[in-house]
Amino acid sequence: MRRFAARRWLPFAAAAILVPGIAGLAALAAPPAAGAPLPAMDEYDEYDFGNTAYDGRFVFVRLRYDMGFSRGFFQRDLPWAHDYPLAERNLSRILESVTSLDPYLGQNGGNVLTLDDPELHRFPFAYMSEPGYWTLNEEEARGLREYLLKGGFLVFDDFRGDHWYNFEQQLRRVLPGARLLPLDITHPIFHAFFGIETLEMYEMYGLPVEFYGVFEDNDPAGRLMIIANYNNDIGEYWEYSDTGWYPVDLTNDSYEFGVNYVIYAMTH
Amino acid sequence: MFESLFEFLFKYRPLIFDQGAFALRASWFGLLAAGAAAAGAYLTFRTYLQVRGNSRPLDRAVLCGIRIAALAVVAFCLLRPVLVLSSVVPQENFLGVLIDDSRSMQIADTDETPRLDFVREQLGTPESALRSALADRFALRFFRFSSETDRVAAVDELEYAGSRTHVGQALERAHDELSGVPLSGLVVVSDGADNADGGLGEALLPLQASGVPVFTVGLGEEEYERDIQMNRVDMPRRVLKGASLAVDLVVTHRGYRGESVTVQVEDEGRIVATQEVVLPADGEPETVRMRFTAAEEGPRLYSFSVAPQPGEMVTRNNVRQGLMVVEDRRRKILYFEGEPRWEVKFLLRGVDDDENLQVTLLQRTAENKFFRVNVDGPDELPGGFPTQRADLFDYSGLVLGSIEANHFTPDQLRMIADFVNRRGGGLLMLGSHRSFAEGGYAGTPVADVLPVVLPAVPADSEEGFFAEVKVSATRAGESHAATQIADTEEASAARWDTLPPVTVVNPITEAKPGATVLLTAPDDLVILAFQRYGAGKSLALPIQDSWMWQMHADVPVEDETHETFWRRLLRWVVDGVPEQVAVELSSDRAEPEEVVTVTATVVDPRFEELNNSAVVAVVTRPDGSVIERQMEWTAERDGEYRTTFTAGGEGFYEVHVEASTGGELLGEDAAYLQVAAGDSEFYDSTMRGSLLRRMADDTGGRFYTSDTAAALAEDIQYVGGGVTVVEERDLWDMPFLLLLLAGLILGEWGYRRFRGLA
Repeated sequence: MRRFAARRWLPFAAAAILVPGIAGLAALAAPPAAGAPLPAMDEYDEYDFGNTAYDGRFVFVRLRYDMGFSRGFFQRDLPWAHDYPLAERNLSRILESVTSLDPYLGQNGGNVLTLDDPELHRFPFAYMSEPGYWTLNEEEARGLREYLLKGGFLVFDDFRGDHWYNFEQQLRRVLPGARLLPLDITHPIFHAFFGIETLEMYEMYGLPVEFYGVFEDNDPAGRLMIIANYNNDIGEYWEYSDTGWYPVDLTNDSYEFGVNYVIYAMTH
Repeated sequence: MFESLFEFLFKYRPLIFDQGAFALRASWFGLLAAGAAAAGAYLTFRTYLQVRGNSRPLDRAVLCGIRIAALAVVAFCLLRPVLVLSSVVPQENFLGVLIDDSRSMQIADTDETPRLDFVREQLGTPESALRSALADRFALRFFRFSSETDRVAAVDELEYAGSRTHVGQALERAHDELSGVPLSGLVVVSDGADNADGGLGEALLPLQASGVPVFTVGLGEEEYERDIQMNRVDMPRRVLKGASLAVDLVVTHRGYRGESVTVQVEDEGRIVATQEVVLPADGEPETVRMRFTAAEEGPRLYSFSVAPQPGEMVTRNNVRQGLMVVEDRRRKILYFEGEPRWEVKFLLRGVDDDENLQVTLLQRTAENKFFRVNVDGPDELPGGFPTQRADLFDYSGLVLGSIEANHFTPDQLRMIADFVNRRGGGLLMLGSHRSFAEGGYAGTPVADVLPVVLPAVPADSEEGFFAEVKVSATRAGESHAATQIADTEEASAARWDTLPPVTVVNPITEAKPGATVLLTAPDDLVILAFQRYGAGKSLALPIQDSWMWQMHADVPVEDETHETFWRRLLRWVVDGVPEQVAVELSSDRAEPEEVVTVTATVVDPRFEELNNSAVVAVVTRPDGSVIERQMEWTAERDGEYRTTFTAGGEGFYEVHVEASTGGELLGEDAAYLQVAAGDSEFYDSTMRGSLLRRMADDTGGRFYTSDTAAALAEDIQYVGGGVTVVEERDLWDMPFLLLLLAGLILGEWGYRRFRGLA
């Protein structure tokens, strides 16, 4: 069974996040709260996500994107906002607790930015949920391409099955020559902070969990620019870590990946 | 002109009056006649006192005075005035004639005639005018001098090929050789272009003590009409391969004001930099900064030159050469970071491709948890920041990121200070809320080392300082190697002005005295400053996100400014950092057969000096043969060892030094030497009248030029020492006295005519 190299953080994290009534996270509840209705797409530009200005600290950035016709077709909530803002809020708290990182700990957990927003370049760590529904225009493709090539790091999460085809297609528009390579446990990102021992995780969608990466110049020995949690949704575990909805081990596993992603991004 | 007129009026040159004593040598008859003249003067006075006529008292006074003066001149002549002189006895005394045999004597600056022509014409054969005049009075001994001094039998033995001029050494040698004979003096025939390292004053002391005057004959012009000279080149002796260099050249000239000349740098024949320079006013030095990259490994001979211009007097002084060792080695830098932050990632990326820099990251990712990158093995930094001096001193550079002072023990803080002060390493502190004053460094040994003054942090300040600023280069920063982010100085300054803003949380506005500020921001914020401290240097870069120069949306993907900045900055941080064994030569250029001194400094891993090491120098000659020398501790300085060797033929010499203690190798180093006949004779090659005058004045001799040297023989006769006799020279027949007497008589006649007197 996989165990963490720094398992000692667990009691603290559990106490801070999982135990109902503990001041920490409960006190953070404020707009935009979990489950709060988000604006319609045509109101995005005017909506205040409560983004924090850059001040040198680490800020979790969630990328928002248009879905094209599929939003109306599926009549569902916004995929890019899945687990927002509790996922980033909880992860930032964990980062602050178990590492020496000084992250932004605001109520919204981080910033929400579009791919072509110049402000994105001030925050070299970004997260995108449900890339199976992702669409982008040329400006967004160029913005994200420059972000990644200059040194930005992007996590794709919460997609499965045939979502892959849309994800891959959109990614090729951003990085035309990029190759999505499967990652195994030996990659440094899985050991950047916690010593993760296996990539086997609970099959949330009934499909085997896989990790893919895009490397700078497609060199597997080089810098990892993108990691994709395929058939997985670790943001979901972060979001519900204070509810007891998921087993503690699964939650802790997801935090291990999240912490490692951030530390790797900040050192490689 | 003055001297000729003086000699015409007074019969002798001023020197004779200087040397002589005045005396009267009247005979009985002369005394009688002088008495008669005095009586005549008295009668004149009485007569004018009594005579009235139609003259006024003033007329009588003037005429009386003129008449008495005329009688006084006559009386003076009758008393037979003489000059009593001490004159050397002909052929009883020796005279040393020292002739400059260096290459600068070939310069044809006076009427397009080589300086050596004077020697050939005036001293070349026994019949030559000056030589003949000297030989009539003295026994002559000829010496030639350049880097060495030799006795010569004939002047035509001179070759004028010496590449250095050591006047002091020549005087000492000649004085020693002639110390057992009556010596009237030494004559130095030279342009005075002395380029010896030693002072001339010491050589003159024994001459002054023994009363031997030095007579100097200066050849050549004291100032050229048109000439350009590469005066100085300031270049490092060792750099890392790929280093971007900014080398300062100082060019002087006369006669080319406002003209544009081409300055260029060659790396062993390959042009690596050129620049057009407009020359300033005559004599005003122009500093030219040349930029180029040290691309090739090994000892490299660089040439820095100004293209020869029409009408230049000397073109061989337009170029200077310098030997630089380009090292293809990795310099280790320890980057200690107290938290995960973006500066780490982008700094490491920036220098990742630099094969000469190994930035080892030690990052605190959690309390007592460290992340290591680029370590040499699992045993490097296993427990965090080094606690032993030897472990820290293994690095050449140290970067302190967002790490608070109280993370370190007091001994570690002292160790960091010693890293700069004693080990000679480079320290760079980065801005963050855990560094500088905000990190609690005020009052620590590290604060003493830093080049900036740490301001007091308000105790009640929770939010702290935060400013987003645009950075600009200071005048020093525009040209400094560490802040060159573009190919030219202008492009670099312009690029600084267009870089996106960065943020500051350490409000530092004051650099220490002696520190240099390279980058600033509005409100007098110091962005980059450095100072030399002890054996090393320290830098302060109080910004927290230089990575904005890479990531900002305004910066194009292909822009390399951030990478260039960090590579050049970190290379400069470790530039010149000494190793445990460091070797230096007395010069990186020597003449064939010149003695070269090798000095090595040996320290242990804690950089404590070692006086009991076995230190061996192996000199590899151009032909591959080797000389091995055991180096001895000098006893002058701890850890310093020295030996010498004599350079042979021309070419590159490698001096490799190894030091060991108890059979264990401490370290090794190499230095290089270029042996060649130099062109130093052609620099500052105008006749140095000031030096030659000083030599003469300090010893009681005289200075001459080629135009006045004809008087040399007679002057030495009366000024020189040795075996002398007393000689008297009459003064009564000086033309001046005759003219004075005639003038007085004519004056009386003219006055009478003017006044209408009888």
